[in-house]
Amino acid sequence: MSTEAKAVTIVMVEDDEGHARLIEKNIRRAGVNNEIVPFTNGTEALEYIFGPDGTGAVSGSRSLLVLLDLNLPDMTGIDILERVKNNHHTKLTPVVVLTTTDDAREIQRCYDLGANVYITKPVDYESFANAIRQLGLFFSVMQVPETD
Amino acid sequence: MPISRKTYLSVTALLLFLGLAALLGIVAASLVLVGHTQDQVEEILAARKVRSAAADLLTLVQDMETGQRGFLLTGESIYLEPYRDADARLDEQLDELSAALAGSPELAEVVDRLTATLTAKISEMNETIALYQEGQTEEAVAVIQTERGNELMQTLRTDLARLREASEARLGATVTRQERSAQFLRWVSILGAALVVLVVGVAGWLVLRYTRDLSGARQEVEQLNSELEERVRDRTAELGRANDEIQRFAYIVTHDLRAPLVNIMGFTSELESSLETLQTYLRKAPASEPLAQAAAENAGDGAGEGAAGQPASGAEAAGTATLAEDARLAIEEDLPEALGFIRSSTQRMDGLINAILKISRDGRRPLKPETLDLEELLTVSAESIQHQLSESDGQVTLDLTVKSIVSDRLSLEQIVGNLLDNAVKYQKEGRPLELTVSTRAALGHRMVIEVRDNGRGIAPQDHERVFELFRRAGTQDKPGEGIGLAHVRTLVRSLGGDITVESEYGEGTSFFVELPRDLRPILGSRKK
Repeated sequence: MSTEAKAVTIVMVEDDEGHARLIEKNIRRAGVNNEIVPFTNGTEALEYIFGPDGTGAVSGSRSLLVLLDLNLPDMTGIDILERVKNNHHTKLTPVVVLTTTDDAREIQRCYDLGANVYITKPVDYESFANAIRQLGLFFSVMQVPETD
Repeated sequence: MPISRKTYLSVTALLLFLGLAALLGIVAASLVLVGHTQDQVEEILAARKVRSAAADLLTLVQDMETGQRGFLLTGESIYLEPYRDADARLDEQLDELSAALAGSPELAEVVDRLTATLTAKISEMNETIALYQEGQTEEAVAVIQTERGNELMQTLRTDLARLREASEARLGATVTRQERSAQFLRWVSILGAALVVLVVGVAGWLVLRYTRDLSGARQEVEQLNSELEERVRDRTAELGRANDEIQRFAYIVTHDLRAPLVNIMGFTSELESSLETLQTYLRKAPASEPLAQAAAENAGDGAGEGAAGQPASGAEAAGTATLAEDARLAIEEDLPEALGFIRSSTQRMDGLINAILKISRDGRRPLKPETLDLEELLTVSAESIQHQLSESDGQVTLDLTVKSIVSDRLSLEQIVGNLLDNAVKYQKEGRPLELTVSTRAALGHRMVIEVRDNGRGIAPQDHERVFELFRRAGTQDKPGEGIGLAHVRTLVRSLGGDITVESEYGEGTSFFVELPRDLRPILGSRKK
């Protein structure tokens, strides 16, 4: 485990607790021990990322990685993605979209908005687990830049 | 009040007949009257002939008398010359008069008397001349002095005048008759013309009225037609919207169904791996399992040391042994079985959800109409099953009457591909597959693609069922989820067409895909 990777906090926005648990399990199985902060709705996640004042300054000094589901009870993941990528403090934060939607236009839209990785949750569990474990490998070699 | 077609035709025919009758009447009357006129002209001519013949006769006799008198007075024989000439022509003139009077038997008596008088006069004149030439001048003058010659001449004049008068009367009567028939002809003509004008007028009025009715009716039909088209367009658009909504609904539902399914499958896998751990543990330490071992030891001790010593502990140990055996059974058999069922069911559910997703996604895909060469498209489709066909000596025949269509290529390829695959999949065992793909034109700028096989066929009660999602017909000996034809029907309908089946069980099946020749106007009306 590299020292750079350890500093990264994974923000998981996933309304389905079952999915959240499975994702966490598989990330851990891939040997990633970073802190995972789970949220089940968009509002709380935004509050965490952008701080109580909503400016995002709070994230300027920390390294985050956002794991994002698109289907949320209070908003769509696209809204969160858009805000993260449009904020000066958070625009370099990697966003991994992990969702059940495999509509080509939706995927294109996410990449257009600046998503770094888009993963479709396959119903076939083996490929699901596999995808997340590979994601874990990706986390372990990744360096998240600090923004001031 | 509109005129019925039957009334119109019979009335028109009647009018035509009337007009023709009037014309024929005029012509017949004219012909008859021309015949009459001819007769009357002849009458007039005859009457005139009588008049002139009578006048000529009188002149001749007077000439003779003059000659006689001149001779008797002068004795010059020169006066006898005109006398002889007139005498020579007298008979001829008399014949002429008789001939002219042949048509008037009532005057025969007059003619007879005339002839007699004439003969007497001539013999009197001849007598006087003969007497004079013999020198008996006195006797000759005496004959003249008897006034007999004069009397005869008088009678002659009177009779000739009577003849003249009779012919005048005949002429007058004929002219009157002629005038009357001319009058009659005029009236016939006027009446006939009036009738013809009337007939033409009535017929014209009828034609005008009928035409006006017809054009009124046509206008109405056109208006209804355009309203109908509008209604059809509206309904089609409504249907399109409803269809879109259903597809959106299917898409959302399947997506939302996927999320819990991910959990079920995920945690089933987690359970399986946990179970594996348990199983490994059990297999590795079956003998050294503390509970089982202790139970076995307890039982052995109890038997060795004496039954009365620890009976309670022995029963407890036996109970524990049974429990351990149950746990082993649960871990080795019950749990894997239950997990297996959960896994196969979720896999099946996943398949179904994917099928619905596929159909709803195809339904949402924007259609791209382009001109397609059906011959090329169908040949490519047929070639893709060639390998499977040659395995069973089967063959595919193309018979294309319509060779081009404006439609969506991908949809059409999927439709034909699915139907051909089905034909191959459900061919009758032991009978080489005979597959015919044909196209033909249909009413309303549409066309039909027929895919006919000699496969196992579909029983009549299943003809509708085969198109339903997740439903299959016949012996279930081939893999499949009952999606193919449901998918085909969705595709065909999105192209503005319909699919029907005709089949005899055990003999073969024909699928008829009816499509518009041009997809663009249909897409246009849907956008509205």
